[in-house]
Amino acid sequence: MLVPIFTLKLNHKINPRMVTLGKYDGKHPNLTAATTAGKVFVHNPHTRMANASGRAIEASVDSDVSLLSINQQVSAVCAGSLDSLGVNDVLMVGTQTNLLAYDVQNNTDVFYKDAPDGVNAIAVGQLGDIETPLAIIGGNCSLQGYDSEGNDLFWTVTGDNVCSLVLCDVTNDGDKELIVGSEDFDIRVFRKDEIISEMTETEAITALCSMANNRFGYALANGTVGVYENNSRYWRIKSKNQAVSIHSFDLNGDGVPELITGWSNGKVDARSDRTGEVIFKDNLSSSVAGIVEGDYRMDGHSELICCSVEGEVRGYLPASQEQKGNLMDTNVEQETIRELSQRKQNLLLELKNYEENAKAGQAERPSGMGELDKAQMGIIPANTQLQTSLTVNPGDANKPPHVELSVSTTNDTIVRSVLIFAEGIFEGESHVVHPSVQNLSNCLKVQVVPPKDVPVDLHIKAFVGGKSSNQYHVFELTRQLPRFSMYLPCPDDTPEPKSSVAFTVNERVQRVLMWINQNFLLNEDITCKGDLNIGFISLRGSGPVFINMQANGQVTIKTDDLDLAGDLIQAIANFLGIEDLQVTADFPMHMEELKNVLHKVDEFHSVRQKLTAEMADHSNLIRSLVVRAEDARLMGDMRNMRRGYMELFDLNRDLINGYKIRCTNHQELLNCLKLVNQTIQKAGQLRVGKFKTQVVSSCREAIKTNNISALFKIIKTGAS
Amino acid sequence: MDPMYMAYSLFRRRKFEDCINICTELLEKNPYDQAAWSLKTRALTEQVYVDEIDVDEEGIAEMLMDDNTIAQITRPGTSLKKPGTGQGAPSAGVRPLSQSGRPLSGFVRPGTQSGRPGTMEQAIRTPRTAHTARPVTSASGRFVRLGTASMLSTPDGPFINLARLNFSKYAARPNLAKPLFEYIFHHENDVRNALELAALATEACGFKDWWWKVQLGKCYYRLGLYRDAERQFKSALKQQEMVDTYLYLCKVYVRLDQPLTAIDIYKQGLEKHPGETALLTGIARIYEGLNDMTNAVKFYKQVLHNDNTHVEAIACIANYHFYTDQPEIALRYYRRLLQMGVYNAELFNNLGLCCFYAQQYDMTLSTFERALSLSTDDLLTADIWYNIGQVAVGIGDTSLALQCFRLALVSNNDHPEAYNNLGVLELRKGHLDQARAFFQAAESLAPHMFEPHYNFATLSDQVGDLQSSYNATKKAIEAYPEHCDSKELLEQLKKHFSIL
Repeated sequence: MLVPIFTLKLNHKINPRMVTLGKYDGKHPNLTAATTAGKVFVHNPHTRMANASGRAIEASVDSDVSLLSINQQVSAVCAGSLDSLGVNDVLMVGTQTNLLAYDVQNNTDVFYKDAPDGVNAIAVGQLGDIETPLAIIGGNCSLQGYDSEGNDLFWTVTGDNVCSLVLCDVTNDGDKELIVGSEDFDIRVFRKDEIISEMTETEAITALCSMANNRFGYALANGTVGVYENNSRYWRIKSKNQAVSIHSFDLNGDGVPELITGWSNGKVDARSDRTGEVIFKDNLSSSVAGIVEGDYRMDGHSELICCSVEGEVRGYLPASQEQKGNLMDTNVEQETIRELSQRKQNLLLELKNYEENAKAGQAERPSGMGELDKAQMGIIPANTQLQTSLTVNPGDANKPPHVELSVSTTNDTIVRSVLIFAEGIFEGESHVVHPSVQNLSNCLKVQVVPPKDVPVDLHIKAFVGGKSSNQYHVFELTRQLPRFSMYLPCPDDTPEPKSSVAFTVNERVQRVLMWINQNFLLNEDITCKGDLNIGFISLRGSGPVFINMQANGQVTIKTDDLDLAGDLIQAIANFLGIEDLQVTADFPMHMEELKNVLHKVDEFHSVRQKLTAEMADHSNLIRSLVVRAEDARLMGDMRNMRRGYMELFDLNRDLINGYKIRCTNHQELLNCLKLVNQTIQKAGQLRVGKFKTQVVSSCREAIKTNNISALFKIIKTGAS
Repeated sequence: MDPMYMAYSLFRRRKFEDCINICTELLEKNPYDQAAWSLKTRALTEQVYVDEIDVDEEGIAEMLMDDNTIAQITRPGTSLKKPGTGQGAPSAGVRPLSQSGRPLSGFVRPGTQSGRPGTMEQAIRTPRTAHTARPVTSASGRFVRLGTASMLSTPDGPFINLARLNFSKYAARPNLAKPLFEYIFHHENDVRNALELAALATEACGFKDWWWKVQLGKCYYRLGLYRDAERQFKSALKQQEMVDTYLYLCKVYVRLDQPLTAIDIYKQGLEKHPGETALLTGIARIYEGLNDMTNAVKFYKQVLHNDNTHVEAIACIANYHFYTDQPEIALRYYRRLLQMGVYNAELFNNLGLCCFYAQQYDMTLSTFERALSLSTDDLLTADIWYNIGQVAVGIGDTSLALQCFRLALVSNNDHPEAYNNLGVLELRKGHLDQARAFFQAAESLAPHMFEPHYNFATLSDQVGDLQSSYNATKKAIEAYPEHCDSKELLEQLKKHFSIL
């Protein structure tokens, strides 16, 4: 059994996910965490130890904690070294409007930057071939990397608000890639500013951590924790609690780090990185706030340090050789025996079942009740087959448009219930259809509404049996839902959308046709000779889409939905194996909208400046009023004091109103900026490979220099 | 003579009143005369112009209620909030503290008397007793008191009605916008409108004019938005490396309590402007604020190397030498000041003290007499009498000392050092009750001084009042943790208590 080697009570609350460990003087690790009221505390027990050489000093934890006032809601905290030598760590504190890099040791700013997109996550380290380490911040749809002087050497956009960031070598090429988890359920891997892979999960990705052997761990908002290797998922588990923090640490001393998870109910567990099997668990009294590792006792061994939101800190040393692999408080032999006997029990039960079945099947009973018996035993004809089909249903007044999955048997046996497991379609990932007894038939229809255009595997389990059976046969099968399933071939008279994208591929029309047949849910495969010209209509209400391809490889996709165009291009490029693709895009409506948004951003900025000045002015007045009123109080001049405080009250009310206006203004500004970032990201999504990166970086340049016409040109042609 | 030419000439000769009159006449004839208008604004501004960089003291409200500093507890020597944590300065036993509890500096300037008060009472009381010029807030008090526009009478309304001004029109014309900005900022002291004008103007010139950025920074600084000010100054520095901008930026960092960053910025400035005394003095001042006298003196010497008539540097070095037991050297620096034409009571007082400690007794009393005759201020007279008292104690003439200290109290009833010394003298005479009263008076006037606490503790210890002795010793150690005698006394008392 592994027990904590130290436990501390810090008497400060800790904000979840805002814990880090930094060696600010280059030697002593200090636990640093964000706490309430816009403050960050640094726990430094080491100076006391140095002082305590002579006589014992009362070991009060309070004296070790020093508070840093940020005076704003802290949204992320991270410590790391920004110079290439990497001796002293710098503390990075992110708030909704700015990023502060602070040298705790010398009480100096390293840099202070405005971050209009907010700072949701920070990661520090070397990225790709950029020489100096960067502090990478993830905000609303944007990623920015600063070096030690505060120059931004890295900028790109991503699909939605960034929730988590980690630097990890996924591709095993020696350089670290940036893994970004965002609110649109996607994990994206960036090599410098190029997306090299994208994985779709089922919820917002709240935490990521780098592990050994190209693996990385992830945690979702719905309580899922798992491990990816390269681009494929290794394992995952789901819990009803939320994973707050994950960390990779070799707790059992076998040389391979385990995935340590801190849960919202205070549980901490360590899982093997290969199987996800729990090898250790412990409970903190309140929700876990963060997990870090470091040599906190300065004895040369790295410890795992778990912090709870109430300020409880526990440190664990890795297990020694003799208790290797045996961290749980149980006897392994007993556990194994129990497990084996459980299995034996199950097998016996199963065997019995089969025997009964066989008996019923062979021996005709003299009573003539054979058929009934058979039914009761759940025997079905041997040639029973389960058929599934997927059709697109445009919906009607009662039903929204959906994809219809019908599960039917080939004879008069009934489908008692269907259990579908599919990621990201149903809430909670699985869906059970269990019709009432009178509605039973040999066919069952299930509505499936995929929220996004991604291919999904539907794992279907159907219970099939006779009408009056007590026992049913389970049919298991997997059906893939094609990527673009929510589209119907549109009638001929549909008006063409105004916007379009055009590009050229060196492929035959038949290949593209094949792609369409594979990726759309069609009743029958489409064939055509010569030029390809097909139209679909989206069931999600984003209008029609026309795909047109000429024999010379010129492809035009007409749609008003920028997202959809991007998805189609990415999917086609993927299918045809195109590495780089330049695209001309013409989206007059989107451009108009973007123009308005940029205009609005300018307005908000100028209003904000005015409001800020007004507020500062008011607060100056308030301060002088307080001093005057207090002065009057000290001199016993109660009438003046009363007057002063009355004025103060009025001014304070004004100030609060002003603050509310400022808040809404800021929120609007944020939304606008997010929209701009998203448009850039979508414009990038229209291109493939190096052109994608090029579009994003030149858009950034255009925004930086406030050159709006250039921005439109870049979005349209893909180059400035 | 052309009246416009005349007005310019008057302006150059700093006869602003006459210049304004001529401009007013010109404007009456032709209200759209831009040259006259801008000259008048400039003249009005010049009348009330105050150096923003040097004359700037943190207001009571900012000091007490603002929390711009990041670290609340810092490593020794990295914060201006806790003087006396630096290394290299003489201890509090040798170098006295000013009336608000900072180590004495050789040169009085804004900020040398600050020390962060703990409570509102203390904050409000200190300026009353210490006769400082601390304003209520840095955005209000000083600018009104120093006689800006609000006090100048204007016969027919203000010259420019800010509420009616269309800022965006003026912002596009740099020749009018700059004088107008200075007028709003210095004369009207309306920072909010000044900020608006500056923001529009900097936009109008495509964010390319560093001057506007500096002005924006000044506005933000005045409003207490230090981070915004920092951004503007940095951006201005990227375009044009001006000494002024460096100085402003450092002031921001001082407000943010990041002295080491400020020193860094000063040094960056020195790379561009080698030997610039303003920057060197800035560094020296910060080191002095950190109580790191070795470095401070090093930089003051560099200042003198570049400008050998720099009064502040000479005074501070002299002060350092005096308190590090080298009165002869200090004397030479003070004489240098005298040669340069500084002729005031403070200098003669210092000279007198140096002469005494350098054993030039013939000069001592005559310089003190000169100091007394030059003194114009009761506070100063009290200090001089106190110093003469010190000399008297030094030569063992206790009755003269007694008289001197009493005279000091006549001039300034709140002179804690004089009370303390009187107490000691009474104690020697055996008048315990009087001595106790004096010590208590000194204690209440200057809780930051350790001497009255310690003296009171020893007195109480002698008469057997161990409890008060213990309390007083505690206070003494709090004021000066390294004080050896207090520590011994505390040990002794603890032993006593444990025996009991």
